[in-house]
Amino acid sequence: MANDAKDLLGNRLTADERELVDLYGRLKALCQRTDLPPVATANVKQAMVLLWNACNDLALLHEEPGCD
Amino acid sequence: MPATASSFWNPKTETLPKDQLRALQLAKLQRLVDRAWHRSPFHRRLYERAGVTPDRIRTLDDLRRLPFMTREDWMANQAEKPLFGDLITRPETDAIRYHLTSGTSGRQPLRVLDSRKDWSWITDMWCYGFWGFGIRPTDKVFFAFSYGSFIGFWGAHYCCEKLGCLTLASGNMTTEQRVKQIVELGVTVVCATPTYALRMGQTAEKMGIDLRRDGKVRRVVVSGEPAGSIPAVKKMIEDMWGGKCGDTAGMTEIGTIMIFECDHQPGGPHIIEDHFIEEVLDPDTGEPVPYGERGERVVTSFGRGFIPLLRYRTKDLVNKVPHTRCSCGRTGDIYEGGILGRVDDMKLIRGTNVYPRAVEAVVREHAQVEEFQIVIERKDNVQDEITVKVELKPGLDAEWPRLQQQLGKDLADAHEGLRFNVELCKQGELPRFELKAKRLQDLRPQY
Repeated sequence: MANDAKDLLGNRLTADERELVDLYGRLKALCQRTDLPPVATANVKQAMVLLWNACNDLALLHEEPGCD
Repeated sequence: MPATASSFWNPKTETLPKDQLRALQLAKLQRLVDRAWHRSPFHRRLYERAGVTPDRIRTLDDLRRLPFMTREDWMANQAEKPLFGDLITRPETDAIRYHLTSGTSGRQPLRVLDSRKDWSWITDMWCYGFWGFGIRPTDKVFFAFSYGSFIGFWGAHYCCEKLGCLTLASGNMTTEQRVKQIVELGVTVVCATPTYALRMGQTAEKMGIDLRRDGKVRRVVVSGEPAGSIPAVKKMIEDMWGGKCGDTAGMTEIGTIMIFECDHQPGGPHIIEDHFIEEVLDPDTGEPVPYGERGERVVTSFGRGFIPLLRYRTKDLVNKVPHTRCSCGRTGDIYEGGILGRVDDMKLIRGTNVYPRAVEAVVREHAQVEEFQIVIERKDNVQDEITVKVELKPGLDAEWPRLQQQLGKDLADAHEGLRFNVELCKQGELPRFELKAKRLQDLRPQY
């Protein structure tokens, strides 16, 4: 993730915040995979949602919450 | 600093200076309006009729360009396009939860759906409240809740699992079984409606259990009724349980709570302003009322993806005061006295306005009262009569004559001299409640 990424208030993300957004992005990408077994897909989705929650509450992003 | 040492669930946004909080709300509002416009035919029609497009939302004041959303519109939409109407933004197959409004108003309940992310957000709003009221992973949290289709404490249950608490469901238990388990397991937090928290306390007394001595409850979290912010009710609950009583309030339409009392308890709950815009308006004119004046809550919620909720008329009466009333550091404003009642629950008796919550506030000042009901009748087709029927705690019948007189006087004093009849009922005669109590019967002819 680029070092100049900003939150919804226009503040530059801290290193911890960048890590959260980065993890969320990686989990989101994994969720799009269709070749993983159900045990991986379902649990990755759960993990992705929790990361989304942290990023959303911290105002690091604002994505449509209905979307898996 | 270890996470558990923080007083805030989300220190970054709970303590944002007001100007930044407003900037955050605007950023979220613009995205929400855009999503509602593109994904929800219900909202698109509403906005087209009002001549508003997403690009018109440039400042927070532009929120007022958006038309109100009402429960009546929503119900009509679900009736026209069963089961969920075209308000929803996603296919039904994306949902993982289905809930209904409580139906206590006697109307057709609303049906709601939530996605995974919606549900996680819903539980997180409860986390703001539970954490803010001092509940931590080491707590044992007991839910006196029936776990049916009404959303009630469902989100709070998942919140406690998220926090790492030992989370205890009691769906099919009797009141006696619940009391027993709370004591046996050394439960530290109890969640219930205010009415049911009192009922469990009364049941414990009858079972010979002193909850203060035999139990370990340090917090009672209440929700679902305006009584949760009536000081006399809170005191009764605290005297029974020996723990601090904190109020929360939410609604099925948003799926979660939007206000909670923090540990400092400044006289009302804080609004979770990084996730909601709470307007307070004159219910007749729709114009904003200033701080310190009573008005109707109108909520805009940023969290739920399936169901965009913008400028929703809640009919809840509130009195907003600045966040500076509290010293906790949160910048979310406060609803002094919590939810004060409903715009539509006011009763006009011989020219005087009567709110059930105000009657309850007077009745609960008298600790001898175990249960009560308010009955309104029309006598000889002309005169309206209001009667408070009272059931006393066991063994206190000798106090009735004095109590009857005092209660009648206190009720009249609180209602411009209006005469209330006060009647005694036998033990167990009045109904008891687990969820939202129905303590008012208006038996007058409805025209």
